[in-house]
Amino acid sequence: MNAVISAKGLTKHFGKTIAVDNISFDIPAGRIVGLIGPNGSGKTTALKAILGLTPFEGTLNVLGLDPRTQRDALMQQVCFIADVAILPRWLSVGNAVDFVAGVHPKFDRAKAERYLASTKLKPSLKVKEMSKGMVVQLHLALVMAIDAKLLVLDEPTLGLDILYRKQFYQHLLEEYFDENKTIVVTTHQVEEIEHILSDLMFIRDGRIVLSSTMDDVGTRFVEVMVSAEKADAARGLKPIDERQVFGKSVMLFDGVPRETLAALGEARTPGIADIFVATMKGTYA
Amino acid sequence: MNTFKWLLKREFWEHKGGFLWLPIIVGALMIAFTVISLAIAVSGVKGGMEINGVAVSSFADIVTPEKRAAFASAIVGNYTKLTMPIMIAFGACVFFFCLGALHDERKDRSVLFWKSLPVSDAETVLSKVAMAIGVAPLIALAAASATAIVTALLICSASAIAGVNIFAEVLSDPATYLAPLQLVAMLPIYALWALPAIGWLLMVSAWARSKPLLWAIGVPLLTGALLSWANGMFRFDWNMAWFWKNIVGRLLGSILPGAWFSQQGQGLAGPADAATSGVLGPALSHSWLLLADANIWIGAAAGAAMIYAAIRLRGWREEG
Repeated sequence: MNAVISAKGLTKHFGKTIAVDNISFDIPAGRIVGLIGPNGSGKTTALKAILGLTPFEGTLNVLGLDPRTQRDALMQQVCFIADVAILPRWLSVGNAVDFVAGVHPKFDRAKAERYLASTKLKPSLKVKEMSKGMVVQLHLALVMAIDAKLLVLDEPTLGLDILYRKQFYQHLLEEYFDENKTIVVTTHQVEEIEHILSDLMFIRDGRIVLSSTMDDVGTRFVEVMVSAEKADAARGLKPIDERQVFGKSVMLFDGVPRETLAALGEARTPGIADIFVATMKGTYA
Repeated sequence: MNTFKWLLKREFWEHKGGFLWLPIIVGALMIAFTVISLAIAVSGVKGGMEINGVAVSSFADIVTPEKRAAFASAIVGNYTKLTMPIMIAFGACVFFFCLGALHDERKDRSVLFWKSLPVSDAETVLSKVAMAIGVAPLIALAAASATAIVTALLICSASAIAGVNIFAEVLSDPATYLAPLQLVAMLPIYALWALPAIGWLLMVSAWARSKPLLWAIGVPLLTGALLSWANGMFRFDWNMAWFWKNIVGRLLGSILPGAWFSQQGQGLAGPADAATSGVLGPALSHSWLLLADANIWIGAAAGAAMIYAAIRLRGWREEG
């Protein structure tokens, strides 16, 4: 198995603060990895290191290349949307397509134009005349038409309305992703992407606190609604989170067998958002 | 090379206003001004217009062949003066183009888009250099040539209306056609001479986190001022005139086309005012003589080093 991204002891300092603290991970091909963390946890810095946009310590191997020294070769195979609406304001839709077609050997112009035809974007329209959602549509049209092995998305839908957000991930899944491609995505809207993810990584204070496939997450984490009389027994199993709903306790367990918990009350698989909140407790305290 | 072509197109799209429309608008304004002046001159109002010392209102006096020839060559020789407003506009444009070239993309974060494409920092920076010393000056020269030719024809028409037809003299004068070529032939000199300024501005543009204009102008001026002060205070007997001319002048002033004419008199033959005498031939040979001087080569080498620094800085600098 060849890892698309392989990090060992990846570290990044900004002066005396540590943004990324000695993290190691491997991401195999054909996965959609959600990198989830609170603001300032080091997500963006880690992604920038992967994309060769920032110097770092440790070793990092992306598609067999070192992002620090082989960035130009890397960008033939990697594509990214770093943050929303970063297309230059003077660029028109037509010029954008022409330019990317001119400089990117793996750009499929027909595909980009097909996607653009399904939007309100006209070739003469300039970025400065577009809404934020339209800018992201244009960027997605360009990126999806590039046959890259790795796509990195850093908060690609921040500030967009729910229609644009849903459409964005739907198109990505239906028209872009296949088993030869790998997508790494960060977002705060966890619940919107959990159904498309194959892997999950939680990052906190520059460290990875959870790294798991979505299948494992489903077996590892269980949420149980416990009635008051069984609450003490349940607490004995050390839930990682507890909240009160309608006089009952909703407890979240990590690594406790589902059969054991089913005896205590109604057991179900929690959403990533609930696991995230439980894992990140006290981050801003 | 295909990538480079698209990078140049990209610069052209972004800076169409400054590099294409500005020279055209300045040229159009000059032509409009010429038309108005000629109309006044032809209608006989005194003091209407003079071309190289020949009063247009006294057209009827130009009867002798010598006078006709003098007048015709005056029109042809007017070329350099006509290109000046466009060249000054071009110089200002290139100055701000270089200053913003690697700063604005970080400021609006669009650098993250450009860097997501398989285009190296070297290709990107060099395309901006090529724009500043190749494509943009050629467009400015084309606009200037068109303006000069239209103006010459307008003056001929006006004098024909006034009763003196000099079309034949002007159109048969080889200088009419040679002048644009001679200006283009100065382009390599401009490219070499402007390189330290281009390099300095691009380097500041790639380095400054904010206010690149302040850094670009402030650093050389402040250094000069401090050295001058120390020189005066402690009587070091440094040659401060040399510093101002060869360091500050070359980092900032060299970007103006023809700036090298003010730098001469360092062992070079020929009149220093060749550029303003109206005859292009000597100005051209004069310009090429610069290549015999170390000044232009040292400046170009320093410029190339600063462009290299700008390429490296673009790789390291993060946006914001």
